[in-house]
Amino acid sequence: MTSTDRDNLMLPPRGIGYRVFTIIVAVWMTTVVCFGILGHISNLPILEHTARNLYFHVPMWFTLMIGWFVTAYHSLRLLVTRRRIHDVRAEQAALIATVFGVLGLTTGIVWARFTWYTGTNIWWNGDPRQVMVAVQLLICGAYFVLRSALDDERQRARLAAVYALFATVTMPFLMYVLPRRMESLHPGAEGNPAFSQMDIAPEMRWVFYASAIGFLMLFRWIYTLRVRMRAAEIRVSELRAANWP
Amino acid sequence: MQTALDTLSAVRDTAIALLDADAAQQAPQGIERVMLASDKLPVVLVVVLIIWFGLLFLLFRTDWRISRIEKELNETETSA
Repeated sequence: MTSTDRDNLMLPPRGIGYRVFTIIVAVWMTTVVCFGILGHISNLPILEHTARNLYFHVPMWFTLMIGWFVTAYHSLRLLVTRRRIHDVRAEQAALIATVFGVLGLTTGIVWARFTWYTGTNIWWNGDPRQVMVAVQLLICGAYFVLRSALDDERQRARLAAVYALFATVTMPFLMYVLPRRMESLHPGAEGNPAFSQMDIAPEMRWVFYASAIGFLMLFRWIYTLRVRMRAAEIRVSELRAANWP
Repeated sequence: MQTALDTLSAVRDTAIALLDADAAQQAPQGIERVMLASDKLPVVLVVVLIIWFGLLFLLFRTDWRISRIEKELNETETSA
């Protein structure tokens, strides 16, 4: 690793602003959980109390998309500047975003099983939005497969960056445009706006917005930790290599 | 006569016991008054909060450990 790479990976220490941010995230998400579980919701048939899953399931998708936009940004920066820190940032953003995506898919399967598919033994019925999301997650997973297939660091970083840009471009189509055009049980299908039946109670809307913001802040916190961890790992391995006789 | 009185006493004692039990079931005491309200959602809340606080503890601890590693690395690389 060159001294420039070492400097790039020597991240500035976290200041008071970061500490305050972590406390805000902790308090914010605790409040969201409390209001999400105990707050007033609309009286919806079939859904009943599972309507509260709106506050926890849907923000997973916002986090997936925003996380991959962060990946795309750092991938582009890597291709332009060739600085290693951007590869670290792109990889970690992709990893955490994909984890949120998998959590979203899993929670969606459970939610659907006990609402849309009550009385049947169906966990997966090929619902268009579910299928599109599964395809999207396969595209996201392929990013990590590509990374693991290449040994040379710089080649890995560049190829993964190019792939990440293409993967991010598919996201709005697979997750937003196409599902809205198709017949589906999922809210937001067939051209109708999403959540049209769920935001009758205004307080549900505010808790939902707070939850979306809270999960994005949580993503930011976990992403910061992972980037710092990965940068420190690389620095340790380079120090060990330099001290190896 | 004595048998009838004994039977009536037994019935009376049983009725009192049942009414007491029924009264106890209808009026949850202490923490149950809170936790059993609203379709038992407070129970769900406590479960989720336990998980969430556990995760928060993990996040803060990881943050602290990374800070310590970074500090040691900076000192090592500066002195090298």
